[in-house]
Amino acid sequence: MSREALITGLGFITSIGNDAAAVVASLREGRHGMVPWDYCGNTAVPIKVAAPVRDFAVDSPSWRDWTWPARYSIPRETLRGLAPHGVYAFCALEQALADAGLARTDLTDGGTGLFCASAGSAFMLHHHLAQARASNYERGNPMGVVSSIAGTLNFNLAAHYGITGAVTGFVSACASSSHALGYAMDEIRLGRQTRMIVVGAEELNADTLLPFAPMRALSTNINPATASRPFDTARDGFVGTGGAAVIIVEEASLARKRGARAYAELIGWGQASDGHSVATSHPDGAGLHEAMRRALRDAGVTPAQIDYVSAHATSTPIGDRAEALALRAVFTATDAHPAVSGTKGLTGHGLSMAGAMEAGFCALALRDGFTPGNAHLVNADPACEGLNLPRESLSARPALILNNSSGFGGSNVCHVLRRAAVKKSSSRPNLHHA
Amino acid sequence: MPNPSPQPPPSTPTPNPLAKFPATIRASHERFLSTRDVAALDAVVLAVVLDHQPAHAKKSGEMIAPDTARLIADLGFDSLALAEIVFFLEDLYKVTITNEELMRITTVGELRAFVRTKVAATRGA
Repeated sequence: MSREALITGLGFITSIGNDAAAVVASLREGRHGMVPWDYCGNTAVPIKVAAPVRDFAVDSPSWRDWTWPARYSIPRETLRGLAPHGVYAFCALEQALADAGLARTDLTDGGTGLFCASAGSAFMLHHHLAQARASNYERGNPMGVVSSIAGTLNFNLAAHYGITGAVTGFVSACASSSHALGYAMDEIRLGRQTRMIVVGAEELNADTLLPFAPMRALSTNINPATASRPFDTARDGFVGTGGAAVIIVEEASLARKRGARAYAELIGWGQASDGHSVATSHPDGAGLHEAMRRALRDAGVTPAQIDYVSAHATSTPIGDRAEALALRAVFTATDAHPAVSGTKGLTGHGLSMAGAMEAGFCALALRDGFTPGNAHLVNADPACEGLNLPRESLSARPALILNNSSGFGGSNVCHVLRRAAVKKSSSRPNLHHA
Repeated sequence: MPNPSPQPPPSTPTPNPLAKFPATIRASHERFLSTRDVAALDAVVLAVVLDHQPAHAKKSGEMIAPDTARLIADLGFDSLALAEIVFFLEDLYKVTITNEELMRITTVGELRAFVRTKVAATRGA
């Protein structure tokens, strides 16, 4: 496969910033997005911290109550079909298109596809079903399905933008948007599409997050400054976040033809499953280990060439340990010592959106030349012995990054990103810098 | 940034579907409920229609749809948007509108007349 897949546009609506510049500042300076949070007005619920998106109000089931930053214009006929996280996704996509220098009219010729990932909106589904049940299913909101079920992002965004290429959604829990990005890369490499838009989004509310509490997956730490601390011995679960991340991937010749600047090149990906437990990681991270090996093989690089690993690291006791063991097996065992960090220490865990968000962070790190650190890490778990876990972000300029994701059922997905080559024939100042 | 107020449980009914409509429309709704004045009902139906009209089909400055305006051909609605109007009215007036009834409605005037009849029959006013 000779076609190269370049990242030419990014959009972020996240707990650490609502555009690339804010996200870079937060990643470099270690500014986290966690705050004290009241999910449902019940003090008996022990989950007291979350990482909300700022400048949006989408906590009502009625689109009439929603507000978002004034720079985004969402037509009402589109808005009425969206879930709350669809509003985030819409804004992140608008941002990514502007970043890539694309207009809506560029998306309609069949060359562009759209891969999305969210768990759907449990909140909207609950609302619409309650409404339907109140009339014993005699009445219901016609937009109830498309604004609720998994797929709501691709239904709405494809229709709004008139996208006529490959459009689908991915559902592998916390690996979902990593699957979307991996398969998007393949669409480009196989020559099926020349441009892919990858969207990951989730909403932060009781219906999406609190069902993780009975699984004992959420942190009960009440201190926003330490609740999410991947790889630390005192970690006790993840902190929820919402938002959206959008990545625009283009085939290199198309990108060059229209003078687009590339953040990074996607040079490989791999996936492998644990085949072990419905919800918890394999104790040795066996599936993730294999997924990393497959991604590196696909990219044609050795462990020693990787400068930085963006770990999945959600701050759960079992998951982080499994990932640490898998990382040691791939890297430490071959005397490779890339910097490893979990940015969920800053952002919280965005579930389906996490993989695309973090791939976006990797693209920023490659473009701007920095390596995110491990926020809130004080005492590294002994399982991490031998891993290079910088506390602070480093000014070290990575050239090759591995991005890890793991989801329920032991789905593991890894991407390899490379700093975009500066072509001598078209060397121009990097105007991408916001 | 503590969240200002936790969200209500989603099963809580929307307090007032017309909450975001102009005060004159909410007043018309109240007037209809207390007096059964069908002119007041007409005003609400028209406001609900215009509220759901796609932005791309709106002519600048045009706020009134005549009774003869066809919902799909003239006002730019699609079948899903019509279903949304019907659901909104069903929810507001606690009536159920069947597909057959819906398919007989093509103009604003027919919708208004239909809602008058339907609401009157259901409420026994």
